[in-house]
Amino acid sequence: MKLSFCVNNRPVQLETDPDRRLLDILREDLSLTGTKEGCAEGECGACTVLLDGEAVHSCLTLAIQLGGRHVVTIEGLSETGELDVLQKAFVEEIAVQCGFCTTGMIMSAKALLLKNPAPTKEEIRVALSGNICRCSGYVQIVRAVDRAAHELREVAYGKPDAKNTG
Amino acid sequence: MKTVGSSRPIHDAWAKAAGYTKYTGDIRLPGMVYLCLVRSTIPHGRVKAVHPEKALALPGVCGVLHCFNTTQRTFNRYRSRFSQDELPNEERAFTDYVRFVGDRVAVVAAESQALAEKAARLVEVEYEELPYSIGFDDTLEGQNCLPGEEPVRDEVILENGTFPQDNGMIEVDSFTELPRLHHAAMEPNACVADYDPYQQQLTLYSPNQAVHGIRVVVANYLEMPFHKVRVVKAAMGGSFGAKQEWFVEPVAALAAKMLGRPVKLVYSRAEAMTGAIVRGAVKACVRGLFTPEGKIKSLDMDLILDAGAYVGNSSDYIRTLYSKLFRCYYVPHARYHARVISSNTPVAGAYRGWSAPEEALILERHLDAAAHKLGMDRVELRRRNVLLPGDIDLRTGVPLEEIRIREALDRGRELFRWNQLKQEDADFNASNERYRRGTGVGCGGHGSTYFPRHDDFGEGWITMNEDGTIQLKITTHDHGCGTVTMLKMVVAEVLDIPDSDVYLAEGDTANTPIDFGCFASRTTFVLGRTAVETAGALKTVLLERAAAIFHQPMEQLYVEGGAVRNRENPNLVWPYAEVARQSMLQLKRNVSAQAQFNNVTNPGVTGAHFAHVEVDTWTGYTRILDYLAVQDIGQAINPAMCEAQIQGAAQMGCGAALREEMVVQKNGQCTSSLSQYHLFLAPDLPDIQVELITDGRSTEGPFGAKSIGEVCYVPAAPAVCGAVNDALGSQLGALPFTPDCVLKYLARERET
Repeated sequence: MKLSFCVNNRPVQLETDPDRRLLDILREDLSLTGTKEGCAEGECGACTVLLDGEAVHSCLTLAIQLGGRHVVTIEGLSETGELDVLQKAFVEEIAVQCGFCTTGMIMSAKALLLKNPAPTKEEIRVALSGNICRCSGYVQIVRAVDRAAHELREVAYGKPDAKNTG
Repeated sequence: MKTVGSSRPIHDAWAKAAGYTKYTGDIRLPGMVYLCLVRSTIPHGRVKAVHPEKALALPGVCGVLHCFNTTQRTFNRYRSRFSQDELPNEERAFTDYVRFVGDRVAVVAAESQALAEKAARLVEVEYEELPYSIGFDDTLEGQNCLPGEEPVRDEVILENGTFPQDNGMIEVDSFTELPRLHHAAMEPNACVADYDPYQQQLTLYSPNQAVHGIRVVVANYLEMPFHKVRVVKAAMGGSFGAKQEWFVEPVAALAAKMLGRPVKLVYSRAEAMTGAIVRGAVKACVRGLFTPEGKIKSLDMDLILDAGAYVGNSSDYIRTLYSKLFRCYYVPHARYHARVISSNTPVAGAYRGWSAPEEALILERHLDAAAHKLGMDRVELRRRNVLLPGDIDLRTGVPLEEIRIREALDRGRELFRWNQLKQEDADFNASNERYRRGTGVGCGGHGSTYFPRHDDFGEGWITMNEDGTIQLKITTHDHGCGTVTMLKMVVAEVLDIPDSDVYLAEGDTANTPIDFGCFASRTTFVLGRTAVETAGALKTVLLERAAAIFHQPMEQLYVEGGAVRNRENPNLVWPYAEVARQSMLQLKRNVSAQAQFNNVTNPGVTGAHFAHVEVDTWTGYTRILDYLAVQDIGQAINPAMCEAQIQGAAQMGCGAALREEMVVQKNGQCTSSLSQYHLFLAPDLPDIQVELITDGRSTEGPFGAKSIGEVCYVPAAPAVCGAVNDALGSQLGALPFTPDCVLKYLARERET
């Protein structure tokens, strides 16, 4: 099939099989290898990307579902060469160890913050419940998302928002 | 200290957060083909024939290698150094004698991963089935033995001290059974192999824990000289022991050599679970003798380890497990009988802690049973038995130096509010029908090096660039826990420069010095100290060169702030870059050095963990309410990373205690999906508290550091298991304590 969709704000057209996984299209056809395969069955979350703003498992999303839609991968967050607020928060809160879950974890967090700019710690934990990290106890990851949420609200509203500290 | 002891992200955190880091699965070489293994579908049998024709008929399939068209030579996956000639070579890349569901029979090479997978499904294999066994009982009965084979593949009896003859000793018995575990490193095992037939040069890229170990195995297997085999450690998406035995690299190497094209072999999750290594199933009985005051007088342990289909590391494993008895508690007499059996199940191998977590689960269970029988508090019983500063390891005679396990217990008891919690739980349980709360404590010890099992050493090469920055070469294998950053920090401390001025290449047999690999928690202790020595050697060279170039008395010179200075005259300052350049221009010599460190100590390194749980007696579900890990670490080089790593160990321990289990079905099929292997997720855990005890410093480690990566996993599961048993008033010993297991126990209790 001929597939036209958008990846990281750029139009993409390619010839592919309708049952091809989005994960393979990203990694093999578009060389966007920041999206990882950890289980191929939607359990680990390492392949998480945004599809029209929603976090999806790219290992369970097929080409046939993609026509006209907008995919954002981890590479789409730092297109200028500078890490975005969420990525920086992951680094600075020491939330990155082996890194294999990190990109999926960040994309799940991104989807959360798009919908809910002021999540509680509990809401953050629930939003990340589809992403496995084997290196940590999730403490730094939750802290990083919380920090990014605060920083983004500061940018949006110009002052620290104290109402949500989880 | 300016650098050591301050926290920072690991060296590649930025690239990982950006998705820029290239893992082995991300590598694509020109002309590369993709491999997919054909694995045995039966647990035990002979391969009569392999029919690759349908696979080969697919356009884009480049070849099918199998047990009848490849070498009969064998290797041992566990071998990690040239000197282990006692290890049996028991494994072929592709076997005609399959020993478990998942054994490798063939591999398909194709132009794409999808095509390789499709073609692999078309390879037909004819088997002659043999009787098989999957559990302790059927294996011990010899159900899978071929004529002449014995069910017990190795057996050992060890004893230390003399049997006590005291009067009035209290006898305690316990039984523990531990299931197979999956490491669940998020990155599955992988290797890219590239063979240049014109120079007979093989290059392997893989996430692994010992580039030189792989070189030994692959070079011997393929009958190649060592200098023709280059092994490069690639970015590693977690290991926990899963990437320290070699079953991916020999296969990829053979395929690349035979096909004459670069190949990529990436395991699926199912393959990483069943076709790699697991932590082996263990069961053990312990009979202990205690004084009425709770002092251990004797421990008698009888243990069986199921090695799975290949013996691999299991002979060493059971012996090491015994040695761990002497790393945390004073055990004046111990007797140990252990057997290795080999069932038709996934192969047992290395796992974080390398037998210490199993030893701790068995022993801590036993101590909980002893405390129950003696009517003593569980922390107090442990306090009375832990090793103290100045004690020696009774098995090896090695001093334990400034061991701090008693302080860990004392500080944990206070911080965790152990005594108050016990009272609060008693009140809660008395006033509650459905939920039961309990507390648990677990202790554990480990080592920081191979010594004295093997003589251990490290080597470092260091060069100063023309701009004063540093190139360091020490063969490290960062798992993601920050050993590269640790080494950079150590060098920066010695040379008094920012750690960002140090570049460190990871393990690469063509470019970095020989090393035993990232085993035995030796990286920080042995290689960290090697980095101190290496940087120190460079400092000496810098001073000598500065003295010669600038005509200064050597004894007046010192380094500070990235410059050589003169103590007598503060105006005399030569930045490192100036020394490096003038050394080349005037002395025609590069500023470089190398150093070796021979390690002859192995201090006590320990931890005490505390867990508070709530068990739902209606559903059997256990919730972790609170968790504290106290670690006797000596100097923490990068404390925030140590903390993150310890919390990860707690997460793994909670999993081992409550959820994780590889189940082998009657037909030999083993759990092969994360949907059936349950890991702890973000909402399941409290904020795990970490307390570091830093005054139990080592004499040899860098700046007094001891190990952390494995020792912090040792006490975790025992603490959680103890908490569940406390909540239920039970003495459950068969892990994991799943909801099913809890409900069955409660049903049994209601019946009696």
